Amino acid sequence: MAAKLDVSGPPDSDSSSQNDQSVSSQSTKRSLRIAEKERRKNEVEDPFVLALQYFSDVEAGTPMIGNDEAERNLVLVEKVAYSRGLPPDAISVMLEFAMSLRMGSSPCARVLKCLIPATVVPQEAVVRGIVWLGVGKMPISTQVLFIKWVLTMFDMIDAKDQLQAIYGFVFSFVMETNLCPFICHLLFLLTRKKSVQVFRVRKLLDLQSKLGRQPFLLHLLSLYKLFCPEMVTLSIPSRMRAAFRNHNSPWKSALIAVQNSSQVASSVGLTFLMKDKTSSRKRKHCHLELPALRPAVHTKAQTEPSTSRKLVPLVQLHNFTQLLENIHRIELPAQMGSLLGSSIALQYLDCVQDESALLRLNYWLGHALHEEFLFCSDSGSSQTSEEVLQFLDRLLSTQHFLQEGFSSTESFLYKFLSVWDGSLLRPQILGLLSSIPVIPSSYIVQLLFEPLMQLFFTSTVFFKCGLIECLKNMLLKWLTWHSVYALDDGLDISINSHTPINMTLSGFKDSLMGLVHFVGRLATVGLQVEGCHTLLLSFILDFYDMVCDMFLKYGVPLVVMPPAGVFYPALFATDPVSVDRLARIMTRYKVNLTAAKNHEKVTAQVFHITRQTFLKFNHYLVFMVNCLWNSKLFHPDMALQLKEELLIKSKVPQYWSSFNLIHHPAFLSYAIDFHHKCWPDRKDKDLNSIKHSKPWGWYLEYLFAQGNDGLKQFVQANIGQNLTTGNAKGDNLSANQG
Amino acid sequence: MIFIAKWNKKNKRKLSVARTPLNSIAVQRRSKSKSHLQSYRSCLGAASRLGCTPGLTTQWLNASRRAPKSHITRVNPEQLALLLKTEWQLSYVTPLYQFRHTLLTSYSRQLLAFIVAEKQQGLAVEVEGHQDSFRVSFSTVQGMADTDDDAETIFIQIHSKPLFAKQDESPRSVWRGWLTCINGNPDYIHSLPKDFVCLPLFCSSGAEWLTSLIKSWFQRTFDCCFGPLEIGPTSLQWLIALWTNCHPESSIQHLKIIWTVPVKPPMQITYTVDPQDAWELWRSVRKEPQEERDGDLGRGQESEEEESSIDIEEVTRFVQGLKNHFYRHFKLNLSAANLSQVSTALGSAKCSGRIKISNSRYMITTLSLLTECALLKMPI
Repeated sequence: MAAKLDVSGPPDSDSSSQNDQSVSSQSTKRSLRIAEKERRKNEVEDPFVLALQYFSDVEAGTPMIGNDEAERNLVLVEKVAYSRGLPPDAISVMLEFAMSLRMGSSPCARVLKCLIPATVVPQEAVVRGIVWLGVGKMPISTQVLFIKWVLTMFDMIDAKDQLQAIYGFVFSFVMETNLCPFICHLLFLLTRKKSVQVFRVRKLLDLQSKLGRQPFLLHLLSLYKLFCPEMVTLSIPSRMRAAFRNHNSPWKSALIAVQNSSQVASSVGLTFLMKDKTSSRKRKHCHLELPALRPAVHTKAQTEPSTSRKLVPLVQLHNFTQLLENIHRIELPAQMGSLLGSSIALQYLDCVQDESALLRLNYWLGHALHEEFLFCSDSGSSQTSEEVLQFLDRLLSTQHFLQEGFSSTESFLYKFLSVWDGSLLRPQILGLLSSIPVIPSSYIVQLLFEPLMQLFFTSTVFFKCGLIECLKNMLLKWLTWHSVYALDDGLDISINSHTPINMTLSGFKDSLMGLVHFVGRLATVGLQVEGCHTLLLSFILDFYDMVCDMFLKYGVPLVVMPPAGVFYPALFATDPVSVDRLARIMTRYKVNLTAAKNHEKVTAQVFHITRQTFLKFNHYLVFMVNCLWNSKLFHPDMALQLKEELLIKSKVPQYWSSFNLIHHPAFLSYAIDFHHKCWPDRKDKDLNSIKHSKPWGWYLEYLFAQGNDGLKQFVQANIGQNLTTGNAKGDNLSANQG
Repeated sequence: MIFIAKWNKKNKRKLSVARTPLNSIAVQRRSKSKSHLQSYRSCLGAASRLGCTPGLTTQWLNASRRAPKSHITRVNPEQLALLLKTEWQLSYVTPLYQFRHTLLTSYSRQLLAFIVAEKQQGLAVEVEGHQDSFRVSFSTVQGMADTDDDAETIFIQIHSKPLFAKQDESPRSVWRGWLTCINGNPDYIHSLPKDFVCLPLFCSSGAEWLTSLIKSWFQRTFDCCFGPLEIGPTSLQWLIALWTNCHPESSIQHLKIIWTVPVKPPMQITYTVDPQDAWELWRSVRKEPQEERDGDLGRGQESEEEESSIDIEEVTRFVQGLKNHFYRHFKLNLSAANLSQVSTALGSAKCSGRIKISNSRYMITTLSLLTECALLKMPI
């Protein structure tokens, strides 16, 4: 039946196209629609259509009591309404019938209660209903019922423009004491910036003095304050009662039932969250509290005519779509610090170009950090309290989101590092530290290395690991910045002519080199102090995992080898993982160096990898191959030398082979296992028998199958075709360069 | 005017001399890092520049400052009287965003509405309306600024009618406060974008709840931050010396110094010095004028002022002299004690950040020192 009605006058397309038409033209259209309906009625005698027809045509003054026809039609409409909901034009007809009081006020409430829309509520019906309110014959309880109905159905009204246009008319009902709470709610939903006027503010304040601090008045006023903070001000107590009580009880369940049956996904949300909370309770860390998002107050002189284009305060945007629509005319909030509290605002912060705005944010942030950690004006409070933690975590996630550190954080860290004990909020501070931008090499020692060195050498192994990881992340950030920003202009970052001092590529390389060498020194001493702690070694190898790939992965023409203090402990480590990772790192070094050499040949570009680097690499490589593969631990022309007599004195049998792939402490267990699997019957274990060419190949296969991928790559890259012969020479790939 | 110009020149020279090398490195570094980030950003064409900041503030107090000689003649005596003889609680304020000296009337109205609204939690207040319980007035103190860079001082006064006042009773002043900047570091002030007004020193006197309300109104309206400003031992030593130095012109009557000894229970040592004795001691530690000029040519004209400049070494020697005297009499070494309070007839200062200035003639010097302290607290 409803489908038929839809055919008679398609409500959806109809109502959406009606939006910009005047009420009068719509009413003529409506009468046309009714005319057409009449025509259809002759064809199909639908009782529901007939019932509606009855209500639209009924004469004013017809009695209700004892009127069987009216009763029957009303029951029919109610039945349809509760089962399927009423189509839009049925709503129009019934609302018009009820509000005009054509049959007195008694059926009015009954009709209102059954006005359950199936799809949408036509706007003009609501407008006409409100106009009928002004006639003033209606009992007050029915008026309240009508406004409640409008509030409940508000989200289902197809358009709001005409309702907003009669804002002043709606506002006039505020004076009716009984209607006031509901009218305030309706106004709250309809208010736009231009509807906030001084005389309305005055009227509401008058009411406030008459009625006292009513929540409905306050919330309407707080909305006014949001739009025009220069007109009205108020502070909401922290324990404010719920904003507007939900007045939708008579219809809610019926509406849900109808919606469920017709599968219309229309949410009726009347919840309203009050966010503008000025908490009055005293807090210890008040400087760590994020300010609330508030629009800036405009005094008359400040709004110059030239900048009079409409600005949208950030507070009024609630989702990303709105942000995108208004991105060209967003007004920054009164306090920039409030941006950190909202995810939408953070999205916007990324495109803020106003230097003053960022400075404001930095002042606030710097102030908070300084007061909390350096000036300690709240001394006595427990420093690791939840609030501090939350604040830092928020800051961290913000910086992570923006992929950039704030300058106030940076300057705070330089000061804080010299007084930090290394344990207070360690993960957070290290996290902040890892996102500082590239420091020019002339200051890097004083600002960063000296304080960090002190902390490193006086702390536990866990801090050492944490710091190495932090420096690894810092390196990663620097390299990423470089690869992102330097690509556009060749390998030179210094293009901008506006700034007097630029960081050139060589400057950047100096800083980078400083950082890598610094970590090398830390690692060397750290490994000695901690007795080659496996965990520390693993973090250090993590770092070099990144360093070895700087040229190919990040396009930085720089190759820095690890110091001996890292290389040898890793090579002689007792766990296979470290040795395996070292092998992988060496392979990557080789790939990078080869690529760098070719690159130099092709582009004839001046980027110079020093002789020392090649020499060092070759030394390491030869040593590694001799040691693991050739069983020549102390070859005469190698970096590591020990006197023959001393070695004999140590009485280690076959000392030259004690670090080959079979006897290396990291692989010994593999060798034994392999031996057992290969010759399960043998009683006496002779590991040297693995060295024979056939089992040696199997043994390698076995080692690689255990997940030693780095070793596999290393063997393939450096020993290659000689693999089967078992006595490959160290590949002196680039030795001729050195 | 001539005087101001001359002094400016001199002040700049001193600033550059006084800065420690470490600090100047930090200053340069900041600007360098800023431009670096900008250049990174500019490669993309979208300059977000989260990292841009003006230079750092000086990290240390000036090692040398001129003796209190200036007389405030340009300031309206009525206004001046309001600033004197009251004990002020000090705070530092980060630069105010979009503060206009021309909009003080509007600020008065807004602050009034804000106070009324906050006082009556949950009652909305019309900004343009009339409230009779309070009266807020903003005014500029003309002529306080010592250099052209300093923003004019702002004075705020809040009057209130007592609850059970008679009809004709006039409202009482319940709160006063002012924001000032005297001889602010020109490098710092110039580094700020022009939307910002630097008035780093905030002095308040009155009910605590009003102070915090006014602070939060400033925070919301001008996006600034407030923090407590203590007067550190070095600053207190400076005040001892600066005030003693005035004795011949305007008697200090007494020099009272309070030290706190960090023991349990806490012990205070009050040390009162006869003004004449203090002056004698001060004269004895002063450097010879010739020594100070140390052969610098072409500054003959400034020699008169040069004589009146005071060096940190002299200050330290003076305080050491006082301590030695105390040791000789009581066998108590004050080196581990904290200087907590200084008072003379010219004014008094406490380490907690309370100061009273009693004589307008030496006000500028004291305020310059405090402005410097406040600028040191700036986060960036």
